Amino acid sequence: MSSVSPAQMTKLGDSAPHTTLASEYRRFVLRRVVCLVALAVVAVVALLVNIASGPSMLGLADVVHGLLNPESIDAGTRVIIEDIRLPYALMAVVVGACLGLAGAEMQTVLNNPLASPFTLGVGAAATLGASLVIAFNISFLGLAAHILLPLSAFVFAAVASLLILILSRSLGASVHAVVLFGIALLFGINAVVGLIQFVADAESVQQIVFWTMGSLARASLDKVLIVALVLAICLPFSLRNAWAMTLLRSGEEQARSLGIRVERLRLTVLMRVSLLTAAAMCFVGEIGFIGLVAPHIARLMLGEDHQFLLPGSALAGAVLLSLSSIASKLLVPGVVLPVGIVTALVGIPLFILLIIGRSRRVAL
Amino acid sequence: MTLKLESVTAGYRNRAVFSNLSLPEIPAGALVAVIGPNAVGKSTLLKSIAGLLPISGTMTFAGENLAGLTSHQRTRRVGYLPQPLPQAIPLVAYETVFSACRSARGDWSREETEQAIEEVFDTLGIRQLALRRLSEMSGGQRQMVGLAQVLVRQTPLMLLDEPTSALDLHWQLNVLNAVRDATTHAKSIALVACHDLNLALRYCDQVLVLSPGGQAVLGTPEQVLTPELLARTYGIEARIERCSQGQPIVLADRPLPASVR
Repeated sequence: MSSVSPAQMTKLGDSAPHTTLASEYRRFVLRRVVCLVALAVVAVVALLVNIASGPSMLGLADVVHGLLNPESIDAGTRVIIEDIRLPYALMAVVVGACLGLAGAEMQTVLNNPLASPFTLGVGAAATLGASLVIAFNISFLGLAAHILLPLSAFVFAAVASLLILILSRSLGASVHAVVLFGIALLFGINAVVGLIQFVADAESVQQIVFWTMGSLARASLDKVLIVALVLAICLPFSLRNAWAMTLLRSGEEQARSLGIRVERLRLTVLMRVSLLTAAAMCFVGEIGFIGLVAPHIARLMLGEDHQFLLPGSALAGAVLLSLSSIASKLLVPGVVLPVGIVTALVGIPLFILLIIGRSRRVAL
Repeated sequence: MTLKLESVTAGYRNRAVFSNLSLPEIPAGALVAVIGPNAVGKSTLLKSIAGLLPISGTMTFAGENLAGLTSHQRTRRVGYLPQPLPQAIPLVAYETVFSACRSARGDWSREETEQAIEEVFDTLGIRQLALRRLSEMSGGQRQMVGLAQVLVRQTPLMLLDEPTSALDLHWQLNVLNAVRDATTHAKSIALVACHDLNLALRYCDQVLVLSPGGQAVLGTPEQVLTPELLARTYGIEARIERCSQGQPIVLADRPLPASVR
């Protein structure tokens, strides 16, 4: 029997001779654009459903009318939509997008599919900042607690990132150095948070625990604007690095040989991830899972080209947190659960469905 | 357009893998096999020419000191295929090669890039893999995509670290034919690290033998590949015979005991 080489075995899939690879690739890219647009549409629908759902359910048409023409609906509904539901739902979108984008970038630069914005202790540092304010009633420059708490969470997350960057840089910013320092920091901070909980009074402990569960209830439009601004600043820079990150995923040596300054890219991305995570967490507390799973969902739908993966991951994060937010309002009638609790409950079935769908397509 | 190395020392951290390596000028159009036992510094040599390791000494290519080039200038002149295969990720072959062009050949228009990609997929015979994900390919197929990333850039100097390590015989010949064509027609220089001495004998104009202890010998395959040198370099007893078509072939008979080496 004559031997058949791997590429010869694929001759059945040969393209017609008159089509160029470029035109085939353009059709392939078009499918991805359609996927990305579909994801954006799902994100908008999830936003509207999130606004509509709650103790008093609204119709989708009412929500759309209320948003486009507030005068056309009654004052009570308007207050529900504009003052309560809209900030809440928009916060889910921007926080989910921040965490999704941060997760995708983190997984790429650490070359680790299990990495997330929380892997390196940035999230834990934000919790430490919040815990200190809660437990010790710290006052600073006369700032009110509701301002000081997110500010402290943000500053601690930023300082933790800076620490990882400085220490990693001194050892060449290799994946191992970054992960090692990050994990050491994570355990160190967790120990300090545990200590704070041990010495704090019962009410403070309860507040800290509530903070770590993550809640969108603290959202307001000005907070949404701050997080959206951070996202709007970071996203263009992320997309500017998209080619370099795509090459980095195919192999670190391959990327280096193509002129990518891998250490510099890694440090730049870490800085961006820290900023996104700190901004996302400081107003809503810890929301895990999104940063881990949203990039995988985007990867399953859009592949590894970071031009599509990065915006796709942000959109997948927005969709996931919006769906989680809807579930958190509907799971127990009359009670709004902390959204951090339900993210995994909503995300896992969606994730499994996508994996099954993909493996079926591959099998066919 | 020649490549010349003078008193080059390279290695990792504080450990030099080779010291004061000097080579005579390698002329344009030369296909050079870099051979030698494991850990002798073949990959280190290629990496240092590619600018991925700090060196002391002088490396001159086409009259330019390679160490003085920016990474941008270097990627236009030097194409390097690392030993590790591209990772098995859901990136399709076409965009893997396309992103290499975007990164290293920013001077090309979209049409020029597409034309170059079209040609390299045809030359390597992997057109049917263009829209397949790396995660759905065999190791050999990924190695071909990695090679396409290098060849597509049409650099005047190519450094290929074991480009056929994951390939079956058909594709080994295919790859070396493609590299041979590139050196012949574009007058580029290719340095190919490999372990297959018979492939080196068949395709290469020159062979660079790196021996333990930092010695290096450069010459034509017939000059360099002698039973004495193979015994000294690899610690083997070997013969150079001729096949029925007159082609020299290396036959390794047995390893030599350490005392004889």
